[in-house]
Amino acid sequence: MFNKKTAFTLLTSLVLAGSLLAGCGDKKTAESAPAGSASAGAGTPSAAQSSDFSFYYTGSQNVDDLWKALIPMFEEKNPDIKVKPVYVASGTAAQPTYDKILAARQAGKGSGGVDLYESGIDDVTKGQKDDLWDTLGADQIANLNNVDQQTLQDVSNLAIPYRSSAVLLAYNSDKVSNPPKTLDELYDWIRSNPEKFAYNDPSTGGAGSSFVTTSIYKFLPEEAIHNSDPSIESQWTQGFDLLKDLGKYVYGKGIYPKKNQGTLDLLASGEVDMIPAWSDMVLDQLDKGQLPSSIKMQQVTPGFNGGPTYLMVPKESTKKDAVYKFLDFVLSPEAQEVVVNKMHGFPGIKLSSMPQEIQDSFKGASEGFRTFSLGDLGTEINKRWQSEVAAQ
Amino acid sequence: MSKPFKRGMLGLALVLPSFLILVFIVVLPIIGSLKVSLTNEQGGYDFSNYRYLFTDKLMRSNIIFTLEVTLVSSVLVLLISYALAVYMRFNDGLAVRWIRRMYMIPIFIPAVIATYGMIQLLGNHGWAARILYHMGDDSFPRIIFDMKGIIIANLWFNIPFTTMLLGSALSGVPDAVIESAKDVGAGKLRIFFKLIIPLTYKTLLVAATFVFMGVIGSFTAPFLVGPNAPQMLGVSMEQVFGVFQDRQLAAAMAFFTFLLCSFIGYFYIRSMIKEEGMRQS
Repeated sequence: MFNKKTAFTLLTSLVLAGSLLAGCGDKKTAESAPAGSASAGAGTPSAAQSSDFSFYYTGSQNVDDLWKALIPMFEEKNPDIKVKPVYVASGTAAQPTYDKILAARQAGKGSGGVDLYESGIDDVTKGQKDDLWDTLGADQIANLNNVDQQTLQDVSNLAIPYRSSAVLLAYNSDKVSNPPKTLDELYDWIRSNPEKFAYNDPSTGGAGSSFVTTSIYKFLPEEAIHNSDPSIESQWTQGFDLLKDLGKYVYGKGIYPKKNQGTLDLLASGEVDMIPAWSDMVLDQLDKGQLPSSIKMQQVTPGFNGGPTYLMVPKESTKKDAVYKFLDFVLSPEAQEVVVNKMHGFPGIKLSSMPQEIQDSFKGASEGFRTFSLGDLGTEINKRWQSEVAAQ
Repeated sequence: MSKPFKRGMLGLALVLPSFLILVFIVVLPIIGSLKVSLTNEQGGYDFSNYRYLFTDKLMRSNIIFTLEVTLVSSVLVLLISYALAVYMRFNDGLAVRWIRRMYMIPIFIPAVIATYGMIQLLGNHGWAARILYHMGDDSFPRIIFDMKGIIIANLWFNIPFTTMLLGSALSGVPDAVIESAKDVGAGKLRIFFKLIIPLTYKTLLVAATFVFMGVIGSFTAPFLVGPNAPQMLGVSMEQVFGVFQDRQLAAAMAFFTFLLCSFIGYFYIRSMIKEEGMRQS
């Protein structure tokens, strides 16, 4: 039985534990309070004041590395501005960020604490419908003049295409002397080289997703890749049948590794000889020696999808002055050089404003990819792929 | 204030903090996700998500696969850990000393790193395959991207802690009891089944509960080394929630997993109550 002393000790420790937990709670609310009060419209900070803004971006590790290199460069030049980077891992967490901005706007609560958002074309078009993005002009961001005006008009000046990359075929040139040049040749190659091709689970990374989408839209008219109307889903059957059939010939007779890196690992270890992969990831890993030097790349026709990655400013952000400064820096030739050298992406500004050596390195590389904008249909493709292809 | 009343108040005050923590951290979220899981697309309430969970081919195979992996892993972990713990309790020597030093190591290795290590070791072109290949065996079974991989990963993650639990229970078995049993002529097997197992039965139940719950909700290893389909429920839940954006279905899966865990928890709690009852009588 308890005596009084033990009871007292127990009670004290419980109270302590409780207060600790409560303390955690307090800290949390304290942390989120500034965001709340700022979005309530405390007035725009003048440029002289130090200001910090939150920047949400998503992607593979290389995107995170890029921003971790660019942000300190910017802060050194602008000591009065602090950028708070928020990295959300690719695939899963990207959508909630968009939802957060939308929900905040609908509730009249500012921009949900997001002052700058990086994402693909789908979110740009969705935000255009929901009227989320701020219109950007060269009068606020001088370096916008360096960007190809046509690309800007495609997104009605709501987003800045600050870099591009494409999905290509990465193959082991020791084993494959004559890589496929068209999609049909690629399918033949997969069938005649069983278990030597792999693509990643499309819900976990863009490279596999691009292979799946390209295969489905191969059977549809060209303009369908810009159609986000659900009525088109009935025409996907032929493409899914093809993917189901290919399932017997891919790595492990139907194994689809997780994430873009999953297939690159298989390529590096020699388990497969050909994969769809992001050009920037392949170049980056060749550079670091993570992939053997025998790995080469080849674009097929009709091309896999690729395209710019965009930066968007939510309309309701209260930190626009600081964000514009940052965007201006991102579009400067020196920052774009980091994009090229660190990520091996295509620069977002016109090649003519880049140094000569970089211009030379991109001869002929930047053509061939297509931009798909399917809106929410991507999710439907993933769902159907999971139940029809993965689980066959 | 009478004395019993005071004592009663003290008892309540002692229970209250933990009870409140339980309410806010466990009970309310469960009620919340139950509510979400009963919401259908039109915003009304019905069982459509659960119906989908048990009728859709893919979901059904996910549930069966999860239960299979969990049961096999739990049984293997308990057998191996119990054997290890018994061996360490009743033997002494160089081997025991080394096992005692080594068996905790996996606890200190982060899950992701251990999983990638396993892929390097057991993959199709991994070290194990290469070593076997040089010994003249060129058919290596597929372990990674397969159920076997998940089970091996679960063994790695769960054996150390379970062994520790069972080891402490076994050190609570007094030597005197075993000596006296030997004196009256009981054989080794008989001592094991009549004395050691009953004396450590409760801890075994605790260990089983821990392993079962740990495995059924695991994510890292199944995500990285599991097959694409069927998936473990944890992986599937993440996909339904994050990629397909179907929060209601994800909540239904989470609630179903919770029910499975409660089922195991029930036995554990029942045995605890039984014991309390025995103490008081």
